[in-house]
Amino acid sequence: MARINDVGGTQGFGAVDTTDDTEPFHADWEARVFGIWNALRAQGVFNLDEFRDTIESMPPTEYLATSYYERWYLAVVALLERKGVIAPGELDEPGGAR
Amino acid sequence: MTDPAAAPTTADRFAPGARVRTFRHDPPHHTRLPRYARGKRGTVVEPEGPAALADVNARGRGDAPVEQIYAVRFAARDLWGEGDHHVVLDLWESYLEEDKGDATDER
Repeated sequence: MARINDVGGTQGFGAVDTTDDTEPFHADWEARVFGIWNALRAQGVFNLDEFRDTIESMPPTEYLATSYYERWYLAVVALLERKGVIAPGELDEPGGAR
Repeated sequence: MTDPAAAPTTADRFAPGARVRTFRHDPPHHTRLPRYARGKRGTVVEPEGPAALADVNARGRGDAPVEQIYAVRFAARDLWGEGDHHVVLDLWESYLEEDKGDATDER
């Protein structure tokens, strides 16, 4: 069961974008997601392989429709819910994503 | 989680230059052996150091075995049927078996 992320050697995705883009983030929220991810990993809330596994387990349609750091955000939320750090849907509550 | 640096050193299973073959099976869980490199023949370049096996570590239980990771070189032609370059992948020992050069092949 190769997952949607495992597309190495697969044709049909168009040309590879080789733009020399040195900006690590393209929006403030991306940097915040990266920072939150680092803090949670450092605290041992999840490990790198669990994180990768969570991203790879996204439904293919959702995976393909989301940006790189959107996947990071969705995976972090899923892991926090799975680990019981937050309640399911908690970030959807009013003020939850503040 | 086991600290790979603290793990006891074990003898490397594969020496540089060893001919190896990757496993063909497609696991239902996380793995770091990409689909395009399954069931392929390559050559060990060198050991890269031990680390917890990602396939097990992804389950978050903290009991993943620590294995040697090897840099393994593949001919692009063996992976995709064309190309004159090589591709080097870092692969856990569990992904590899000795290439006995038998007749069965993935193609």
